[in-house]
Amino acid sequence: MQSRILLLAVLLCVSVAAAAPVLTTQEMEEALTCQCGCGLTVHSCNHLQCGFAIPAKQEIARAVSEGKTREEILASFVARYGEKVLSAPTVSGFNLVAWITPFLAIVGGAVFISIVGLRWARRQPQAAAPPPVSSETARYRHRLQQDLESFDV
Amino acid sequence: MTHLGSLALSLAFLLAVHAIAASLWGAWRRHPAWIQSGVHAVYAVFACVVVAVIALLHALITRDFNVEYVAAYSSSTLPLHYTIAALWGGQKGSLLFWTFILMVFATIVHLQNRNRHRDLMPYVTATLMTIALFFLGLLCFLTPPFERLTFTPQEGSDLNPLLQNYWMTVHPPSLYLGYVGASVPFAFALAALVTGRLSDEWIRTTRRWALTSWFFLSIGNLLGGRWAYEVLGWGGYWAWDPVENAALMPWLTATAYLHSVMIQEKKNMLKVWNMVLVILTFALTIFGTFITRSGVISSVHSFTQSGLGPYFLTFLIFVLVVSFGLLFYRLPELKSDNQLDSFLSREAAFLFNNLVLVGLAFATFWGTVFPILSEWVRGVKITVGPPFFNKVNGPLGVLLLFLTGVGPVIAWRRASLHSLRRSFFLPLVTGLLTGILFLALGYGNYYGLVIFSLAGFVLATIVAEFLRGTRARQAMLHESLPRAFARLVSKNPRRYGGYVVHIGVVLIFIGIAGSSFFKIEKQLTVNKGEQFQVGRYTLHYTEVKSTEDAHIASQAAVVDVYVNGHKIDTLYPEKRFYKRQNQPTTEVAIRPTLREDLYVVLGSYDAPSQLATFQVFVNPLLSWIWIGGLVLVLGTCITMAPNPAERRALVLARMPAPRTGEAVAE
Repeated sequence: MQSRILLLAVLLCVSVAAAAPVLTTQEMEEALTCQCGCGLTVHSCNHLQCGFAIPAKQEIARAVSEGKTREEILASFVARYGEKVLSAPTVSGFNLVAWITPFLAIVGGAVFISIVGLRWARRQPQAAAPPPVSSETARYRHRLQQDLESFDV
Repeated sequence: MTHLGSLALSLAFLLAVHAIAASLWGAWRRHPAWIQSGVHAVYAVFACVVVAVIALLHALITRDFNVEYVAAYSSSTLPLHYTIAALWGGQKGSLLFWTFILMVFATIVHLQNRNRHRDLMPYVTATLMTIALFFLGLLCFLTPPFERLTFTPQEGSDLNPLLQNYWMTVHPPSLYLGYVGASVPFAFALAALVTGRLSDEWIRTTRRWALTSWFFLSIGNLLGGRWAYEVLGWGGYWAWDPVENAALMPWLTATAYLHSVMIQEKKNMLKVWNMVLVILTFALTIFGTFITRSGVISSVHSFTQSGLGPYFLTFLIFVLVVSFGLLFYRLPELKSDNQLDSFLSREAAFLFNNLVLVGLAFATFWGTVFPILSEWVRGVKITVGPPFFNKVNGPLGVLLLFLTGVGPVIAWRRASLHSLRRSFFLPLVTGLLTGILFLALGYGNYYGLVIFSLAGFVLATIVAEFLRGTRARQAMLHESLPRAFARLVSKNPRRYGGYVVHIGVVLIFIGIAGSSFFKIEKQLTVNKGEQFQVGRYTLHYTEVKSTEDAHIASQAAVVDVYVNGHKIDTLYPEKRFYKRQNQPTTEVAIRPTLREDLYVVLGSYDAPSQLATFQVFVNPLLSWIWIGGLVLVLGTCITMAPNPAERRALVLARMPAPRTGEAVAE
């Protein structure tokens, strides 16, 4: 039963992944920050008289229809407005620090917790050898353990 | 009246100095009269700040435009409720309002504890009043709210039109209540560090304060989202703006604290970590204020660049140095009975939950300050916007959702494989079926489906917990189902209220996933009488109605909404022009349903040709964010309900620990 469910889960993932959309003008608009001061991406800026977002959207639509790549379009904007026009840091050079640091911190934290947790686990007092118990006591102990797990008291 | 306000602030400043000095001197010399004098000074500062607030409100309501603040943030045509909201609409007023809330809280804390915590209270007084002194210093010497102009303008500049929205009347106060509420656990933590009374006493005493602060931060963030959704008109509610991030960070660390504190109470673990979280949460509230008022990071929320940044930064450094210095000094006494039986245990799940929450706070902090770092290191200005935060925080959020399901169900100490199978099999199946159901309903995005599946999984674990507990009561005590359920919750409101909060969080995740991954949007220009299709909706633009009063000129488009040929509603998206500010704004028309929001913005309108440009969004499941917020409110109220067991624990925590050999002597 459980293996069937697992198989179903895998099929679900594969079928959904296969339906992933392709690059659109929206993605390009979201990769650029509007320079009108709204603080939003070009895509989200809703100032309909916006002096930056409207021409930028037209330029992106034209560039995409001409078959330009994502990198080419972004490079043309960066050449005119500088790196601040990108809505996220590039994945190169010093900007890599921006992307990697949060994950390094999480992984470092996980390693730290694991090491400390193992040390805490070793701290447990070594229990003396338990006295021999009757089968009835063992049965009650097992029952108690089950109940504790059930009700979590 | 404004002179009285200025005088009250000056007096409050002097009284705050007295409160700090008298409390510390009294505690050091063990002189109760000095300590009592410090407490009286707290009440006096409160009274002075109330007088100052009333004076500023009076100036606003009576339109005393000779006062610079009144002239800058109100006008004679501004409605009364927004005139009152102008109290926190500008820099000076918001600092006064912050001080007012702090003094309300300080007064309540002192009234609550007038016969309790005699060792801790002088230091609590000193800490709270040091914070108050900082804000009063700003108000007295740097940004006086009662400053007068050399002339009296005929009319005020009016409140920013974007702030003239009912959500803005409640969103900033809510956030401020959350921010300032974090001062109370911080003050008790510092007092515990100074006095060396490091038992659970301070934690149990401040639990409700921590929860209250967290509650208002949650509500403040949600209301901020609601305001952005209704007012900014871009179809979204969260833009990862630096100031939004500043409000999210303390919420994340406060959430981590509310979880890890349970481990300290249950297992006497993580004492140092809890101190760190309380200090970080408070420091992040000051950091948020620093960001808003320093101008170091550009944000749509920022107050005008005021030169207050260096003062906030200095105060922040002072807070961190003193707090972590004391923590370092007390480290040997904070050694806990840390013990972890297994990584398959609730303790371990909570540790990882803390890791993810603090990791999210760090990632948000990192993304917020990275532009400054880039400029320092490379001399190049960059932007860290939504794509960065979505890519970095998104996966962490999903991991957090998963842990929300695991944490409450997994057993303390050590979970056996048998118990894991029993606890998680049905929830996992439910999660999988939820994913399939949403896929069948047409929600075909991988990321979104993962979130929906996890939401199903978490909800199933919570429902199973309620069922298991209710059935156990029915079996043991022969109670009816409703009675067993009610007694289950009332006997342990903290635990079951927490589960209700988790349900709220899951609903918020569902709303975020639906509206983020399955949104439909369209922008088009149409003639009067023309119809257009967006998603399953047919929209018919029939006319534009114009209205005008002394304050606002408005043009509202009349848009009939049809589904499958049946008219279901009429929407009125509007463009407003605020005369005083000479500023146009958009008033969005929203048709919310549980399934999706239809969100229509009138972008522009050309009167001669009657051509109108509309932006239309269909935001699936978005209402569940606000419903989740309401559930979160309900859950928090349950967790704060009186709990006899907790009171007993507090009494026990206050009792001194038995000395070695005491039991034998007895």
